[in-house]
Amino acid sequence: MDMLRYIFSILLFFVFSFQLMAQKTDEKKKDGWEITGIKIGMDVGRFSNFLFKPEQTSYAGSLDVGFNNKYFIIAEAGYSEINLDRDNYNYISDGTFYKIGLDYNMLKKYPTDFLGAGFRFAYSTLEHSANNIRFESEHWGSYYTEKESETNQTMWLEASFGLKGEIFKNVYFGWSAIIKVRFYGGTDDKFQPYDIPGFGKAANSISIGANYFIYYQIPFNRK
Amino acid sequence: MKFIFRIVGILLFAFMIFNCSDNRCNEEVDVLLKAEIIVNDPILTNAGFLETLSIYSPAWTDSVHYSSANFMLELSPFADTTVFVFTSQAWKDTVKIFYERDLVYLSQECGFVTYYKIDSTRYTSTIDSLVWVNKKLTTLTDGHVKIYF
Repeated sequence: MDMLRYIFSILLFFVFSFQLMAQKTDEKKKDGWEITGIKIGMDVGRFSNFLFKPEQTSYAGSLDVGFNNKYFIIAEAGYSEINLDRDNYNYISDGTFYKIGLDYNMLKKYPTDFLGAGFRFAYSTLEHSANNIRFESEHWGSYYTEKESETNQTMWLEASFGLKGEIFKNVYFGWSAIIKVRFYGGTDDKFQPYDIPGFGKAANSISIGANYFIYYQIPFNRK
Repeated sequence: MKFIFRIVGILLFAFMIFNCSDNRCNEEVDVLLKAEIIVNDPILTNAGFLETLSIYSPAWTDSVHYSSANFMLELSPFADTTVFVFTSQAWKDTVKIFYERDLVYLSQECGFVTYYKIDSTRYTSTIDSLVWVNKKLTTLTDGHVKIYF
């Protein structure tokens, strides 16, 4: 299943890349550093949780400031809540994540679109607990217990490659493939988090995924 | 417009792929203690001690008869001490095991299990000695104790 995801992500990347390449625009060369756009984004990929992962509710947003439509300072933040109700336990978790980084646009001719790479430094903190943990034994009978709340902090680095295209005036759709490498926290031999907000499955130290964002560009300094 | 429809279609397909998962527990969840009984006392051997051996815990509602010298026991997940009683004919011995428990979240699919770390053991007179081969009980490794009569 993982392999299918990667193949699909690569295909999706090429589909959108060709869309951008096909556009014709004219850009005048700019001198010096100029803020060319401020975008506010919302991670729309997370809304799939309502359908396919109902135990998880998560939101994420981003702010990016572009300079000459070539360099972008990116800040992202998000929230995730999990309430996993299983037959033999109930797992509860809530946490936040923050990311900061840079994107570099490799497109030279296009004044607003983006095709490029970036990196992020990310930090996440979560609190999780469990209750109604049921044990059943042939000899010992049934027993209920609970796991007290614990805090878990995680830091990781991300490298991304993706694109953003203007689908309506000032409205962009963006997609990026991301590889995340965890270098601090996120693991616990006794109480491993089910999911690290912004990172994904805590059992993996390297996570590969994709983001889908809708952006609104504040009409500022736009030519 | 076609472009937007294409995006929506591809997104929906992607969401389905990204969110499919198997909810079955495919891991080992039993945490067991392997007990090995070695009868060196000729009186016990001649009396057929092993053949009529039964084991139970006072907290159980039943007892188990083992016809072999090797068997698996389950420590109490509710207390830090488990008492096992070994009976055979007129002999009755008690082994009291003291341990620490850890509640471990194995996985989303399998839930929680209890791991044990043996601290100490006390036993009564017919038992000659008791040797711990492995004092840690997890889903990956069984505990192992040899009981000499």
